[in-house]
Amino acid sequence: MPTAMTRRGLCRVEQIMGTAITLDLADDLPPARLHELADEVFAWMREVDARFSTYRADSEVCRFDRGEVLLSEASADLRFVLEACADLWGATDGFFDAYATGRLDPSGFVKGWAAQVASDRLLAAGAGNHCVNAGGDVRVRGLSPSGEPWRIGIRHPWDAMATCLILAGTDLAVATSGVYERGRHVLDPRRGAPANGLRSVTVVGTTWGPPTRTPPPPWPWGQPASAGWTASTTTPTPSSPTTPGSTTPPTSR
Amino acid sequence: MRRAFLAITGLAASTTALVVLKGSPDATQVAQNLPTAQPVNPTGPGADPSVAPGAPGGDPTAGAPTPSVSAKAPVSPKPGKTTARPSGTRTTTKAPSAPRTTTKAAQPTTRRVTGSGFDNEYGYVQVQIVVSGNRIVEAVALSLPSGGESDIHSGDVRSRYDGGGGEVVQKQNANLNTVSGATETSNSYKQSLRSAIEQAF
Repeated sequence: MPTAMTRRGLCRVEQIMGTAITLDLADDLPPARLHELADEVFAWMREVDARFSTYRADSEVCRFDRGEVLLSEASADLRFVLEACADLWGATDGFFDAYATGRLDPSGFVKGWAAQVASDRLLAAGAGNHCVNAGGDVRVRGLSPSGEPWRIGIRHPWDAMATCLILAGTDLAVATSGVYERGRHVLDPRRGAPANGLRSVTVVGTTWGPPTRTPPPPWPWGQPASAGWTASTTTPTPSSPTTPGSTTPPTSR
Repeated sequence: MRRAFLAITGLAASTTALVVLKGSPDATQVAQNLPTAQPVNPTGPGADPSVAPGAPGGDPTAGAPTPSVSAKAPVSPKPGKTTARPSGTRTTTKAPSAPRTTTKAAQPTTRRVTGSGFDNEYGYVQVQIVVSGNRIVEAVALSLPSGGESDIHSGDVRSRYDGGGGEVVQKQNANLNTVSGATETSNSYKQSLRSAIEQAF
């Protein structure tokens, strides 16, 4: 198992959900314990993938979408996600729409939520200093291995090898969506067409998903209503760098 | 062919920046959200265990990862999916040429670290980095897809990222812990590079 010996903690990368998931544990715990925690995190991520992947016909979300699983039979996780997506749909005036593609696709919520749950579990397990990066959706807590706040680069919208902003913090959730990796994959549910207008959007908060329902991207960029709503809850970072100084947590809690 | 370009050379090496990346460090603003060194509060927001629904390990199908996007069938038949694959390195084990030591970073010894190899639909990619202290001083692709148009793209990749003056070396930023970017599809060079970085630091 590749482990960095020059620092405390453990860093591991695995390919899950069709992307790279990186876990950085910065707590000075025994190696065996760190590996155990990492195993649990990646097992959780695989469980989420198996349950929520829209690429797998046998995933629970696909079976539910086909009517093969009733809501009353659904797992607690699926019911939770459906409820959260419904809440987001209401909170965003319909812009966050798990049915925007015509079929159930909660992927816009699931990845960040999975990272949040992993982070919560790590904290509960006594590993309060960590960074979970699920394909660009980042959740950090505590301090980095160097004992300083985590430093999260925001990928520059036009330069794959550069960052346009660096966020530093001890309790941050950062999610970025952009067209530079997968093209115009974000649908505007009102027009039923790919959203355009922004190349990249980053949302920063102190948590996401429940309980504060901070919405992760993607959502339709370039929509004034959407942008206004975004600004009211979190601080977006559009193509040009802005400084998300106030990361105001949204409403509840 | 656009896809081919994306799959092979679309190196949005944002995650490269694990340790890494970005030109002049001072050119980037830093937003600090919280007081430095604020201790973690185990009972703080988000710590509520009831937030995490479901029991872990409840799904026996959890073992298999989703195939990456690039693992799907090619859009069109590609000429020559041949790959110059270094023998015996096709696993996640390190190549013999990577004598990773437990030397402390304080000692600026040069280490050569080989990343795991990754397949994409056009071939096999494996990246090696040379690390001195906390810096990547050289990156080299041990293996890239070859044959047909892949030769062109692989050449582009080499000229852009490889070597002591390539972007991997030039744009590294040791002051980053991670990078937030749009969800990446499979990117073999980056994944292998990340794997190497993960081992090296």
